[in-house]
Amino acid sequence: MNRHISVGEKMGTLPSAAYHCSPWLHRPRATRSGLSPIFPRLTTVLCLALLGAVAVSAASIGPLPQGKVPPGKTLMVIQPHHDDHTWQYGFGGLIAKMTAAGYKGIYVRVSNDEKDGGMQNGWGANDKSNYEDAIAATKNLGIGEVISLNWRNDHMSSIPHVELRDQLILLVRKHRPDVVMSYHPWGNYDRNPDHRKVAWAVGSAVWLAGFANVRPDHEKLGLKPHQVPFKYYSQRSDYGRGYHPNIFIELTEEDVARKALSYRLHKIRVSAGAGRHTRELLDARGLKIPELEGLSDEQASERLQEMLMYWTSSQSGQDNGVRYAEVFYFMDEWHGVPGLESYIQQNAVER
Amino acid sequence: MNFLKQRMTTTLLVASLLLVFGSSPAAAADKKVVLVITADASDYILAAGGTIAKMLDAGAEGYLVRVTNDDKDSWDLTPEETARRTREESEQAAKILGFKEVESLGYRAGELGGVSPTELRDRILFYIRLYKPAVLFIPNPYAEYVEVLDRFYVGQAAEDARRAASLSNYQPPFAVVGLETHVTPELYYYAQPFDPRRREAESTATFVPQPKALDIASTFDKKLRAAQALKTINHSTAMRIKDRLESTDRRLPLLDEINEESVNRLVEINIHKLAEIAAKDTEHSQAEEFHYAGVEYQIPSKYLQ
Repeated sequence: MNRHISVGEKMGTLPSAAYHCSPWLHRPRATRSGLSPIFPRLTTVLCLALLGAVAVSAASIGPLPQGKVPPGKTLMVIQPHHDDHTWQYGFGGLIAKMTAAGYKGIYVRVSNDEKDGGMQNGWGANDKSNYEDAIAATKNLGIGEVISLNWRNDHMSSIPHVELRDQLILLVRKHRPDVVMSYHPWGNYDRNPDHRKVAWAVGSAVWLAGFANVRPDHEKLGLKPHQVPFKYYSQRSDYGRGYHPNIFIELTEEDVARKALSYRLHKIRVSAGAGRHTRELLDARGLKIPELEGLSDEQASERLQEMLMYWTSSQSGQDNGVRYAEVFYFMDEWHGVPGLESYIQQNAVER
Repeated sequence: MNFLKQRMTTTLLVASLLLVFGSSPAAAADKKVVLVITADASDYILAAGGTIAKMLDAGAEGYLVRVTNDDKDSWDLTPEETARRTREESEQAAKILGFKEVESLGYRAGELGGVSPTELRDRILFYIRLYKPAVLFIPNPYAEYVEVLDRFYVGQAAEDARRAASLSNYQPPFAVVGLETHVTPELYYYAQPFDPRRREAESTATFVPQPKALDIASTFDKKLRAAQALKTINHSTAMRIKDRLESTDRRLPLLDEINEESVNRLVEINIHKLAEIAAKDTEHSQAEEFHYAGVEYQIPSKYLQ
């Protein structure tokens, strides 16, 4: 993941709801829950300091359709880095909801994260430390397995697309997920090339895993083709044109707390240096955050990260008439046949 | 100096386009060549078949370049048998729409991510210089959420090929064998309605492709018959839908028995709905949607004046 200090959640225009009206979507309730008055003030001050600029509150664009946990058993989260399952823009809250609902979770970490950390102990130490953190953080979200593909961090542009795609097809056929989550294959201007590379390979893998004539050698292992019915894509929405989510998922306080904890469990994300630097920025502007008083720099850093997580979840929530939310581009099981989607939904019956 | 050069070039381009094709792109479409580039056998029919048939009915000469061999999209058939059958069926479908010729480039379906974009561009460039189309149909590489990524690769290569075909420093050997540069004045970007924002213009500039819906009522039946000719792909789609439903204890009565009749009915429902989606909020009852770049959309209005 990039160092992410941005706070603006700009979601652009509301897409037409016509194409994704699955039975697992319904319109959100109209009421809005407010946060405690102190919280928005604190976080606004925090964001000012973090960015060194005026924090732009997300423009309210009206609610998106509300998504629900779809029926299924297996969730596969495929991401380039150790910590991409959980950050302020997504995934962690929905993952927590799904595993709580009974989903078995698998995390595929494509790179070795060797660059994410200092050089005191070398790249190998970063890989090991980040891998261990990924296990702890995903476990906190209810994920039971982490599969590392060990591609070199920040050298992924040169990986042959078909090779990475085929690794993912193999894993999809082995674990047969009902849900795949990843960065957004059609996201605009994600500045992290690892994100782009992996997202595109995921898009390609879920398209092709269902065709028996793609990698027919997998049949020798007893692996059958598998169509992934539900896909959830997300990307930071304040890079360039970002992306246009089409659903929101309501999060509970507990979901956000689990998400925030998972983020903090990545040691690289919480450091005394970051806490100290933020306080210096605040001091330079004559500002302070009372909640940070008396905390060590490391504790302050941890608290700031937690605030950021809550603040972003609450912004997405406010846009959609709930307290906390994450937003996604969701593709349902009939996305590939837009001319047949409504017919199937209206005419399919129980066996 | 650069600005002057650029301006002179643009003026010459405008002059040559207007001289050769007149001010009505439609007139060019009626009398000239229509070249359609498609990644696979079905996409261009589902997204643009009615409009293409209309142009060919009106007297244009049609050529189809099908980039992949569709060897993946079948149910219980080997890649080789799938490719063989789909080639035959795609030629039948093209004949129904009125095409004169189909060129199958034979790339393996689903594998274009491993093909050099320059190679793909130059294969398409060849046909642009060979047929010198007045109208070019290509998959829209800017359409989002099109999961069949071959369509993106082909659209991107075809767009680049159209530009490169007009410039003599691309593929100089082609000129040696008589394939001169060619400017294609009309360009239609097509895509099935996966992208919820497909009706938004790409920008506010006047010279970028604009969303456009065209009436296909008069050629709807041709489009339907062409789509139904793709028996292997249609059977595969029906089986996948049935498979997914059965895996979740559901069924679609229409597909209780999968045979030619039920598959054709499924195709008919699909084609009707696609035409209805494209016609929504337009004056048409059955339509297709494009992003269109005609002469007037390719040149800033200040130069045209």
